[in-house]
Amino acid sequence: MKHSFEVDGVDYQLSLSRCQQGYRLRLCNKVIAPVALSQQAEGCGVLTIAGESEPVRFAIDGEVIHVHIRGRTRILHYRDPLRTLACANNEADHLLTRAPMPGLVVTTSVSPGQSVSAGTALMKIESMKLETIIRSSRDGVIDRIHFNEGESFERGAVLVTLSDEGR
Amino acid sequence: MRKLPFQTILIANRGEIAVRIIKTLRGLGLRSAVVYHDADAGTPAVAMADTAIAISGRTPIAAYLDIPQIIAAAHKASADALHPGYGFLSENAEFARAVTKAGIAFIGPTPESIELMGDKIRARNFVQRNGFAVAPSIEEDDPATFTFRARTVGVPLLVKPSAGGGGKGMRIVRDLANLEDAIAQARSEAQRYFGDGRLYVERYVENPRHIEVQVLGDSFGNVVHLFERECSVQRRFQKVIEEAPSPALSPELRRRVCEAAAGIARAAKYQNAGTVEFIYGGGEFYFLEMNTRLQVEHSVTEMITGIDLVAQQIYVAAGRELGFSQSDIVSKGHAIEARLYAEAPERGYVPTTGKVLVLEYPDGDGIRIDSGVVQGQQITTAFDPMLAKIIVHSPTRNEAALKAHRAIGELVLLGCETNAHFLTRILRDEAFLSGHVHTGYLEENPHIASGEAASDLSAFLATAALLTRPVRESADAVPELHAALGSWRN
Repeated sequence: MKHSFEVDGVDYQLSLSRCQQGYRLRLCNKVIAPVALSQQAEGCGVLTIAGESEPVRFAIDGEVIHVHIRGRTRILHYRDPLRTLACANNEADHLLTRAPMPGLVVTTSVSPGQSVSAGTALMKIESMKLETIIRSSRDGVIDRIHFNEGESFERGAVLVTLSDEGR
Repeated sequence: MRKLPFQTILIANRGEIAVRIIKTLRGLGLRSAVVYHDADAGTPAVAMADTAIAISGRTPIAAYLDIPQIIAAAHKASADALHPGYGFLSENAEFARAVTKAGIAFIGPTPESIELMGDKIRARNFVQRNGFAVAPSIEEDDPATFTFRARTVGVPLLVKPSAGGGGKGMRIVRDLANLEDAIAQARSEAQRYFGDGRLYVERYVENPRHIEVQVLGDSFGNVVHLFERECSVQRRFQKVIEEAPSPALSPELRRRVCEAAAGIARAAKYQNAGTVEFIYGGGEFYFLEMNTRLQVEHSVTEMITGIDLVAQQIYVAAGRELGFSQSDIVSKGHAIEARLYAEAPERGYVPTTGKVLVLEYPDGDGIRIDSGVVQGQQITTAFDPMLAKIIVHSPTRNEAALKAHRAIGELVLLGCETNAHFLTRILRDEAFLSGHVHTGYLEENPHIASGEAASDLSAFLATAALLTRPVRESADAVPELHAALGSWRN
């Protein structure tokens, strides 16, 4: 069975099966075996790949797995196959303006019901010390503004929803 | 030594600097009090302080800028002195005055010194009048002609807020067509951060080195320097790695720059700890600005001199005379500080957020960690992205870089992306190791921020796969063919 993990916006397909000394990992066209992870304490383990061991540190937060190996940290999102399917044709994603980074709304320049065209400034956000103007990527009518001035949001949060004009 | 006239000191700050000040207060047998906004309720300073008093504001930052609330908190804590830390109200003369007027000792320079040096334009004029070198610049004394006159400075130029510091509101302009936009944006940011939208424009020296000198003055007119720090490794005017001594200075230049800094402080009748910043390029240095407070990177100076600067600040505020003269201060070895930020250099240094799920700091000889976060804490964008500082001290610069590299590699912070690996990339970069850095170093070497294009993720994916129950279960559900055959034969 194929499973999928997303790392930095890239999806990686893999499958895992048992083998004598642990597991066999099929990753793209590569087979890595045997692999084993022995957990020592909470969040600590030793990863052994083909006889070579190294300490790993990890934390699991729902479907998000944080892994630290030799000074590098990666965040891996497990893509539940059922949920991925359900989400695929759900939202009209092209109508959503998402936050490119976490931040705070400084000012909103539009209000619901207002017609906007591609390039119209929707809001000014601030992230740490920099102000950025969030612009509409398309023509439409403002349906909803999800954050008030002064409110903070996470990366990827929907800031503004448009509706298709005259449809 | 006679007893200090203080019992409780209120720290009008947060994060790592509040923790760092509390440590010195404990060492001196003083009680500590902190103010905190609700967003900081789970931070280590609040847990460590003897008293913690909640303050509120329209935004978390606004709370830490609210002078009446902070003074009321100081009274409530029965504080007899106040340490402003860095940032926030640390360079606000009105605040220093209000604190003093409330009968509380302000641990910092006099309001007059803050006014003189805190205003960049006034400071430059003062320094120039006293015979020290400054860069060509234009002031906004007549806003109507400001843009026009700014053009005469020529590109590249730098638009800077007259108030404040820390890179906030600064803009480089390389094309005069962008000048008006840059001025408008800088003014808006300066207004919001410092409540003062006045700007000035200065000729930008390409590829300069940022060298600053730590000074310390007492109320008896004694002023000493504690040698220089180099802070050239910066991104968007934010320092990333600082060190002492500077690898760029000859002994003769070091003597000149340190004496110039002490001279400027002496001319200003400066009391308490301060930093005189210089731009160094082409064998010459000129005055940039003076920060009338403790700096983030004061710790590298403490490492090479063995002097606790916060303790000295408290002694000076208590009216004591400096306990040493210039010749008593000796620089030993090399110190490097790396700033751990909640940001992703690989994605243009965008800030990152998350809950700290695992936090483990390295330790060992010559390793000092000044941290403002603990496990379980939520990292938000409400404040500055700095989480902690990793400071190392070794006999030589190369050994210090190696030690810092190893220490950062051992640091485990899970739950919020950080710049830790980026820091290790700098620390093993050839240009950095040979000391050839300038303030444009990271822009000139974008590969350091972006990291390796194709790093092997198989160990990470293997770990994640083995930790994910549905993945493991789907593997365990199907007995492996060869394993099954193997047991059949027995």
